[in-house]
Amino acid sequence: MAAGLLGLGARRLLAVAATRGLPVAHVRWESSSSRAVIAPSAVAGKRTPEPTVRWQEDPDPEDENLYEKNPDSHGYDKDPVVDLWNMRVVFFFGFSIVLVFGSTFVAYLPDYRCMGCPREWNGMQEWARREAERLVKYREANGLPIMESNCFDPSKIQLPEDED
Amino acid sequence: MLKIIIPTIMLIPLTWMSKPNMIWINTTTYGLLISLISLFYLNQPNDNTLNSSLMFFSDSLSAPLLALTTWLLPLMLMASQHHLSKEPLTRKKLYISMLILLQLFLIMTFTASELIFFYILFEATLIPTLIIITRWGNQTERLNAGLYFLFYTLMGSLPLLVALLYIHNFMGSLNFLMIQYWIQPLPNSWSNIFLWLACMMAFMVKMPLYGLHLWLPKAHVEAPIAGSMVLAAVLLKLGGYGMMRITTLLNPLTNFMAYPFMMLSLWGMIMTSSICLRQTDLKSLIAYSSVSHMALVIVAVLIQTPWSYMGATALMIAHGLTSSMLFCLANSNYERIHSRTMILARGLQTLLPLMAAWWLLASLTNLALPPTINLIGELFVVMSSFSWSNITIILMGINITITALYSLYMLITTQRGKYSHHIKNIKPSFTRENALMTLHLLPLLLLSLNPKIILGPLY
Repeated sequence: MAAGLLGLGARRLLAVAATRGLPVAHVRWESSSSRAVIAPSAVAGKRTPEPTVRWQEDPDPEDENLYEKNPDSHGYDKDPVVDLWNMRVVFFFGFSIVLVFGSTFVAYLPDYRCMGCPREWNGMQEWARREAERLVKYREANGLPIMESNCFDPSKIQLPEDED
Repeated sequence: MLKIIIPTIMLIPLTWMSKPNMIWINTTTYGLLISLISLFYLNQPNDNTLNSSLMFFSDSLSAPLLALTTWLLPLMLMASQHHLSKEPLTRKKLYISMLILLQLFLIMTFTASELIFFYILFEATLIPTLIIITRWGNQTERLNAGLYFLFYTLMGSLPLLVALLYIHNFMGSLNFLMIQYWIQPLPNSWSNIFLWLACMMAFMVKMPLYGLHLWLPKAHVEAPIAGSMVLAAVLLKLGGYGMMRITTLLNPLTNFMAYPFMMLSLWGMIMTSSICLRQTDLKSLIAYSSVSHMALVIVAVLIQTPWSYMGATALMIAHGLTSSMLFCLANSNYERIHSRTMILARGLQTLLPLMAAWWLLASLTNLALPPTINLIGELFVVMSSFSWSNITIILMGINITITALYSLYMLITTQRGKYSHHIKNIKPSFTRENALMTLHLLPLLLLSLNPKIILGPLY
């Protein structure tokens, strides 16, 4: 859920930095091993001064920053509870129900083409292939010939009696 | 069909009677459930149609379009939540009601079995769309845009009404399933030529055909995000769907009447693709790319071969999802910088890397990367037009190249390079936006695994 490279913590920091300015150090500290010095910043807590000329590309002051009041905002609503539930509803119904069940349904749809007409309109191709593989496997396992030259079993054909 | 229509109608009382902080949650939930139900119509067991009643039927052509329409409503609701957040409650509910009404009319249009019923609903879809564009659009040009949109479509479809009434008189019924069996070849005479023109011009304007496309950039650009999404994804496909239905009545005139429109489409797709290369406005670029893709569908429908129909259907579904996703991405830019100019928000990859991933995938599907269904559609259309006339391959090839050029141009301008200095403080991507992109992209990618459901009745 955390957006890409910016984790939730980093987003909070960014949101805070955008509104309150960078966090500051309150005491002066000098490192004993190097020449690093951490000192209260001269611009601590000061926000960037309001520009004297407003450009079109400046952020609109009327734009509300949803992250300001609710750093964990999902972008749906100002109210954190409604926002959270909206996110949950979208993810549950959108992904878990529709995409998952829908894809399963579509994946298990019967053989699409023309179930009633096998040969003429190329119907039941997938079924035909599976059935053929199954029969070949069965016949090879039982030592029967894979294919017989008779379409129908000759013993089952009942011919009418010869009449003179 | 009532199992989709009644829940959609009931979404309207749901919006008006929900608690104020629950309107979006309720409508999104039930919209998603309705889209789940509409997937049942994808079970098309044979060549014939699934007849739900005397008035409605679903075919392997209309079922994917139905699924696309119902899938799009929750996505439109999610996309609109931010820009409507400051509106008063009644206006929010009105907006949602317009979207639901539009969805209702679209569902009935795609499943109508009688052609006059189809026509009435085809016109009825104009009204909520016009209201959405002119009331909730962002710039003053939206009034002009609404005018262009309304009158172009009306001018095209009035002759269609006359033609349908004539055919009804002549044949006795306009029930689409029955007249398929009664049609006789249309002899070549002036009045039949005008009949052909009258029937087809409404759909040509809707698609749009290159010479009649002026309404599209205006309407798409000025509409709010939900309006752009539904216009690009579904309303354009109404034209394609209508053309595929009505050409069954118009044979064999189509064989020679189609030539001027084929020329316009073949030339127009290159022209509009080239215009895309010179656009500064992001939404305008996506709008012109819609014209270009739909020109391919027009070519496919006019050729009338099995492969081209398969390509047309696949391309309609693929383009619906891709174009809607691109508009959502453009809107996510617009909500941050309040401008549609591409170069104002560039180098976004460093600032919003996940959104850059969606931009990349959307641009890749737009340029018909294998193995997406966009490629399947385009490839089938290119192959069938090649068999119709060998020279078209040159034009199609140029179009595919320029499509790749402008898709990558759009991607590189908005995502790559150094970001402009004034967008450092844009807000990070919301979960809502990422979910929206994923909900567009996942069906597209899943369909690439199983494209047979969108290949239409001639598969």
